Amino acid sequence: MAPSTQFEVAQPPNDAITAIVFAPDFPNRFLVSSWDKNVYLYEVVDGAEQANLIEKFEHRAPVLDVCFGATHEEAFTAGLDHQVSRIDLASGDQSVLSKHEKPVRSVIYSPQHSILVSASWDNTLHIHDTAPNSSHPVLTIPLPNKPHAMAASPSKLVVAMTARLVHIYDLPTLASALASPNPPSTIAPWQQRESSLKFLTRAVSCMPNDAGYATSSIEGRVAVEWFEDTAESQARKYAFKCHRQQDESSGGGDVVYPVNALAFHPVYGTFASGGGDGTVALWDAEAKRRMRQYQKFSDSVAALAFSGHGKYLAVGVCPGFETGMEDYSGEGRAHVLIRELGETEAKGKGSK
Amino acid sequence: MGKKKRGHPDVEDILARPWCYYCERDFEDLKLLISHQKAKHFKCDRCGKRLNTAGGLSVHMNQVHKESLDKVENALPNRQGLDIEIFGMEGVPEDILQQHNQRIITNFYTAQAERHAVTGNPPPGQSGGQGPAKKIKIETPEEIKKRLAEHRARVAAQKAAGGTSAPLHVPADDQSPGQGASPFPPPQAGFPYPPPGAPGAPPFPAAHAYPPAYPTGPSPPPGAPAAFNLPARPPGGGAPAALPQRPPYMFNGAGAPPPGYPAGASTVDELISSGARHGDDIDHMIRMAEAGIKPAGKPAEDAGGEKKGKKDKDKNTRMVYADNEVSPEEKMALLPRYRFTAVA
Repeated sequence: MAPSTQFEVAQPPNDAITAIVFAPDFPNRFLVSSWDKNVYLYEVVDGAEQANLIEKFEHRAPVLDVCFGATHEEAFTAGLDHQVSRIDLASGDQSVLSKHEKPVRSVIYSPQHSILVSASWDNTLHIHDTAPNSSHPVLTIPLPNKPHAMAASPSKLVVAMTARLVHIYDLPTLASALASPNPPSTIAPWQQRESSLKFLTRAVSCMPNDAGYATSSIEGRVAVEWFEDTAESQARKYAFKCHRQQDESSGGGDVVYPVNALAFHPVYGTFASGGGDGTVALWDAEAKRRMRQYQKFSDSVAALAFSGHGKYLAVGVCPGFETGMEDYSGEGRAHVLIRELGETEAKGKGSK
Repeated sequence: MGKKKRGHPDVEDILARPWCYYCERDFEDLKLLISHQKAKHFKCDRCGKRLNTAGGLSVHMNQVHKESLDKVENALPNRQGLDIEIFGMEGVPEDILQQHNQRIITNFYTAQAERHAVTGNPPPGQSGGQGPAKKIKIETPEEIKKRLAEHRARVAAQKAAGGTSAPLHVPADDQSPGQGASPFPPPQAGFPYPPPGAPGAPPFPAAHAYPPAYPTGPSPPPGAPAAFNLPARPPGGGAPAALPQRPPYMFNGAGAPPPGYPAGASTVDELISSGARHGDDIDHMIRMAEAGIKPAGKPAEDAGGEKKGKKDKDKNTRMVYADNEVSPEEKMALLPRYRFTAVA
């Protein structure tokens, strides 16, 4: 066996994985949220090819998303029980920040503006001020449809909804509205777009350089777009097929898998996609090329995350929910794998 | 026979073609085979480098990507092993080589027999157009009488209707062309008299005894069809009579009316063959019904489906998750397993 730079995390979640995030200031720590109602905090041991469970935090209901706050000691979760919670990772204390009418799909923290945004299937965004003892109320922004994926760049927030709607909000505007003594009842998005993909959006990820974002759909496709609303920038956008497999049984057609996860590399600006086919591919957004595709995992890839310095790629693997799976269970089949990337493994060729 | 087999190479030619151990594809020459292997089987999926052998790729993966190769990509399930060093045709184990040749030979003769069956031509080296070899259609006297009666009834009905030459194309759906373009029809494609013992003979001979009256064999040149429609047909002409009628609109696809009805059937044979040419729809349906087969696999439909399949290849996909309104998470949230019910 060749030396492997990939290893499995000990004590993975018991059920399907919903999200993985690395801490912003503590590059070896990461959180995993799961349908088993827990959020797990792990730490990668450098050089030892192992990652250990530090703590797990139980919730009332499955946790659909998790993000770190300003430091590695604070996390926010999106619960199926309609709650947005804050966890003090050091003490384990949990507190409820706000309640939606329906399950909360995503949470995202913007360290640049110190605000937390939650998106729920009740068709609203909640904007929270996370400063301790904040007297500001939670600001609610109505959405035209159900949000399914959300991502933030340093200055923008991208919300992808049903019916191919994409709203892009300007984070400074949201932050100032939240801070103003008379917050407006609603805030118009900075841009409204129609998704370049014809099918339901699965994942969104923003470029670390604040230039654009990538979306993926249930129909094995990824689109890359730029924020700048000029003809030149918009002409650069493109989409491509991926995460498909030739289907020998039905005579040459493709089996098309959803692209469940997208993650941009924080340093090189390349990105990884993870699909229902159990593969992870690395893409060079500039050169429009696939750089790598890793060997197939045992199940669908549910979540992906790069660590803050880009050295590690965490891959959450669990059975994917497919059409007609009325008896779905991810129990005992969830795995988290850490891949230690070679120095230039995720470096694009086009960005010289 | 002086006539060269059109488009059908000799078995020796086929056997001489280089082929790929991993996927059994054959190639025009060795260069093509080697470039195929480099592209399909020995290409590094990390960096795209093409190696000459599986072993080379393994070493490359090890040294460059620090990964191990566990199988050859795109290979047949039992040929994925790395233990055999293949380069072009070198290294193919003797038993596999034998198997391959055997398969080629079998396929070749099967295909050849099918071609002979379809065209009604005798195998090369055998003389005579109407050897007994072609008559395997076994019909009981009752069946013949029945069809004769049917045919008479039709003729009578035609006369009663006052039309002397109104063709009997009752259901028109079987009449559409479509199969004529395929040089290699499936073995069960219709022709009245398959030779005995043709491999891959139709499982329901009765059902196909009177198939649509369209040729399915290799297409004659476009100028030829008219010859088949000559009304004056020598009685008792075995092979020519057995050749199905070719409509003139075969190549332009327009729905021109079918050609005339040959008059003057003097023998039972001729009656049968004219029945085969004109009464086929009804007989075909009757026989299908007798055999309990639904007319699902009509050649026209088959051909149409195939064409469509090719055109819409991109759309011929299956999505593992296809709900465009509701996300997988929402569905999971409704399962009893994960559902959250607020504690009162």
